[in-house]
Amino acid sequence: MDPEVHSLTGAYVCHALEPDERAAFERHLAQCPTCAAEVAELRETAALLASAAAETPPARLKAAVDARIAVTRQIPPLVDHGPLRASASASARPPRRRWFAAAGWGLAAAMAVVVAVLGIRVSDQQNQIDQARQHSTTISQLLSAPDAHSDSASVSTGGTGTVLVSRSRDEAAISVAGLARLAPGKAYQLWMIGPSGTRSGGVLPATASDSVVAHGLGDALTIGLTVEPAGGSTQPTTTPVMLLPMPA
Amino acid sequence: MLGRTSSKADTGEEASLESHLHRVALGDREAFDEVYGQLAGPILGVARRVLRDPAQAEEVAQEVLVEIWRTASRFDAARGSARAWALTMAHARAVDRVRSADAATRREARAAELMVEAPFDQVVEAVEARLDRQRVRHCLEGLTELQRQSVTLAYYGGYTYSQVAHLLDTPLGTVKTRLRDGLARLRDCLGVGG
Repeated sequence: MDPEVHSLTGAYVCHALEPDERAAFERHLAQCPTCAAEVAELRETAALLASAAAETPPARLKAAVDARIAVTRQIPPLVDHGPLRASASASARPPRRRWFAAAGWGLAAAMAVVVAVLGIRVSDQQNQIDQARQHSTTISQLLSAPDAHSDSASVSTGGTGTVLVSRSRDEAAISVAGLARLAPGKAYQLWMIGPSGTRSGGVLPATASDSVVAHGLGDALTIGLTVEPAGGSTQPTTTPVMLLPMPA
Repeated sequence: MLGRTSSKADTGEEASLESHLHRVALGDREAFDEVYGQLAGPILGVARRVLRDPAQAEEVAQEVLVEIWRTASRFDAARGSARAWALTMAHARAVDRVRSADAATRREARAAELMVEAPFDQVVEAVEARLDRQRVRHCLEGLTELQRQSVTLAYYGGYTYSQVAHLLDTPLGTVKTRLRDGLARLRDCLGVGG
């Protein structure tokens, strides 16, 4: 790890970096769990600096906020099949697991319109059907794993990615939705990024709109998505359009 | 808390803030009132510390509170407390505002002001903030002079670390390090666990 970059955690938390340094640090952060943990702690600390500055808000602030939220639509959770995201937010509390299990089958069905197995291009139709069945099972097993967590990120060029990960099963289901259409000859490629490097997670077919199951996560901490030549690349050749951290 | 604790997260207050936020994500206006009650003061306060101008601070606070309503479904308890999520957003918005071009002219005057200001001397005392304030003041006093000035100028002043280095006539690398070890020392003093 570059100690120079690592030492920027304090400045980062204080929003004291220039935009380019900030972007560089965030790229580093996606691959540095130690830094991410430190940033989380320092953010809690900075929050106390903010709390210490608290002022009594005037009544007109509440009135103004109320007036605006009355006409402000809330953005949905990052899964388009139900409140998975909202539920995952409450992951610290037991009721969520019950919900998770109950909703599991519906979600599994929704996620299991399968497009690919990481690293393997599916060629024939029977294979696809078999793969789909297998994915459906994998996803429902993932959902019922006691350490199942989900996380989402937006894709900078449009759309969102969601990952459902179980470290104990060493598996993840990744789903994307609303991706921008690419020029002919280009494809989206997934990457598994961790301390030991970046490896391909497979090329998404042109019609990709559903879930991909990844086995053997290893030390991967982040799912990356880049635009590559149609056949895929061995290492990313463009700036990621999405970096989706996987809960450790 | 998924292995993450903070001094706040261990109290009933913070647990309820997170569950309120969860209900806000489901469109619950009463839960939003609770969230507002707990966070509007700190959000307005941090915006005012950074921006100084009460009208601009109120605008930022309003934006942030609406943003909390709008994006409550994206809060992720695995990444930290609800309080840190909201106040990180508030601080970022205030800093964005202060760095925008139209604020540039006001900044020079603020620099001089900040340099002579003792922490918190102009803050209106709010009962619910008093404990936090006392603890933070106590812990800020435990920092070295350079740590305290760096953290205060960067966090409350909204300066970039290179601007802080310039103001303090100190090498860039030193300020970078003081921001990190200053905050780490505050963390230990305030009992923010990891």
